[in-house]
Amino acid sequence: MFVSRSMTRKVITVNPETTIFEAQELMAKHSIRHLPVVDGTNRLVGMVTDRDLRSALPYRFFKDGISPADKQGFQNLKAGDIMTRKVISIPPSYTIQDALLVVQTSKVGALPVVDDEGHLRGILSVRDLLRAFINVLGIGQPGTLLCILVEEKVGQLKKIVDAITEMGVSFGSVLVARYWDEKKRAVFPYLLTQNVAQVKKKLTAMGYELVDPMQWYIDQLPDTERSPDKSAE
Amino acid sequence: MKRTGFLYDERYLLHKTGPYHPEIPERLEAILQGISSAGLMDKLTRIAAVSADLSWIHTVHSPEYVRRFEAACRSRQQTLDSPDNQMCPETYQVAVLAVGGILEAARRIMAGELDNAFCAVRPPGHHAEASRAMGFCYFNNVAITARYLQKQWGLHRIGIVDFDVHHGNGTQHTFEDDAEVYYYSIHQHPTFAYPGTGREFEYGRGTGYGFTKNSPVLPGLSDDDWMRLIERDLFPVFADFRPEFILVSAGFDGHRDDDMSDIKLTTECYSWIMKRLVELAEQHAAGRLISVLEGGYCLKRLPELARNHVEILMNG
Repeated sequence: MFVSRSMTRKVITVNPETTIFEAQELMAKHSIRHLPVVDGTNRLVGMVTDRDLRSALPYRFFKDGISPADKQGFQNLKAGDIMTRKVISIPPSYTIQDALLVVQTSKVGALPVVDDEGHLRGILSVRDLLRAFINVLGIGQPGTLLCILVEEKVGQLKKIVDAITEMGVSFGSVLVARYWDEKKRAVFPYLLTQNVAQVKKKLTAMGYELVDPMQWYIDQLPDTERSPDKSAE
Repeated sequence: MKRTGFLYDERYLLHKTGPYHPEIPERLEAILQGISSAGLMDKLTRIAAVSADLSWIHTVHSPEYVRRFEAACRSRQQTLDSPDNQMCPETYQVAVLAVGGILEAARRIMAGELDNAFCAVRPPGHHAEASRAMGFCYFNNVAITARYLQKQWGLHRIGIVDFDVHHGNGTQHTFEDDAEVYYYSIHQHPTFAYPGTGREFEYGRGTGYGFTKNSPVLPGLSDDDWMRLIERDLFPVFADFRPEFILVSAGFDGHRDDDMSDIKLTTECYSWIMKRLVELAEQHAAGRLISVLEGGYCLKRLPELARNHVEILMNG
């Protein structure tokens, strides 16, 4: 669950003296959008993103390409000049959940991972987080997802898990969606089987309600963000 | 009337899957009964099952996997690779007979002795991967047949149409980098159905990019949407591809009375698909088409579905 396990360890970095054209080439070559800026002792001093580069250079550079004369004029522009100095970083001891919440509130695309001494240890991108959650969802393995509506009381999940386990079916994951209904929870077992008809029959016979797949949701935008009219206000 | 072959063998009933399993011998009995009671059996050319030469199976499956499967049956192992794949000591031999029978059907069509054929085989095949049994499937019958047509008969454009309600992951993976085999599948959307592949954005790989096409269908939808997607996604690309042979992975589990999916097709929709596929084969492949049974678990509906299926193969 710790960031140190999911982060990229071999980080492509620049130093404050790197020209922005070198930085641009590095991003293109490695298909990345974030370059941590480190000093001679690998201490994080800033971050350059593809957005910083775009803001620093005239639009025509991206549209028409750069002429040698143009390039000369910007040769003195260095990573140290355009980098963000107040970088949001996380320590390696953070969990994946910590990182998710930091990404959500900070709205950054990647988090440098920095130890107590300020040394860069790795970088965790939104893509790394997605990979972790694809793994958690179990959707890399063949299986079938169900959605069961249960009363919000103790022991419901156990009954469901027991009933399915008794049929010799194993679980890829079990998600529980909150805020489904005031007194209900939606349980999503991802079952590693094609033989779901039997499972459905058994759960229905036990009195559980199986939700119509077209009505499933594991997430929903808050009302304020959902309506285009409101978000324009 | 076309010369339609019908592959069926009583030994296909010997593959037993135990209790609580939908892929049972009764499926084939229902199919046979539907065809017989309509008086169609005499008009079909029966094809006898023969054991496939293992070298053909090895064109899709690793020899290590084939040996592992055989050894599992010999040692009376009850499952292979997943609890889904329930089996018995006879399963391996039955699977070899299924492949062999279909290859014989292909041979007779290529030799000009038959126009098309329906292969009522068990176990099914389209989920089987190169080295892994999956979703009730052990050998990928259709994929092996496509390889046979390529290697033995030198065909360069083989079109596979998979209308089983589940995505044929094994078939797609076998040919995803092969531009000579076009794999088209229509199935329940992978977020809501086994095996979780066959998404709209899967188009193949490398030189095979653009020769895989998937139409995921949302739960609850029925004939109109299914037919609209086939018209939109299959026929234009096959008109360009001009297949020399059409292989059909025929699964009937999208029927509204089949509890293996949330798709609500009627019996008539299956007739529509088959008519269009026979027309397609007529246009591009001199009528050459083999339909191979995959899923379809509603014993009540299988007789009429099978009857219509062979009737359309015979009469268009």
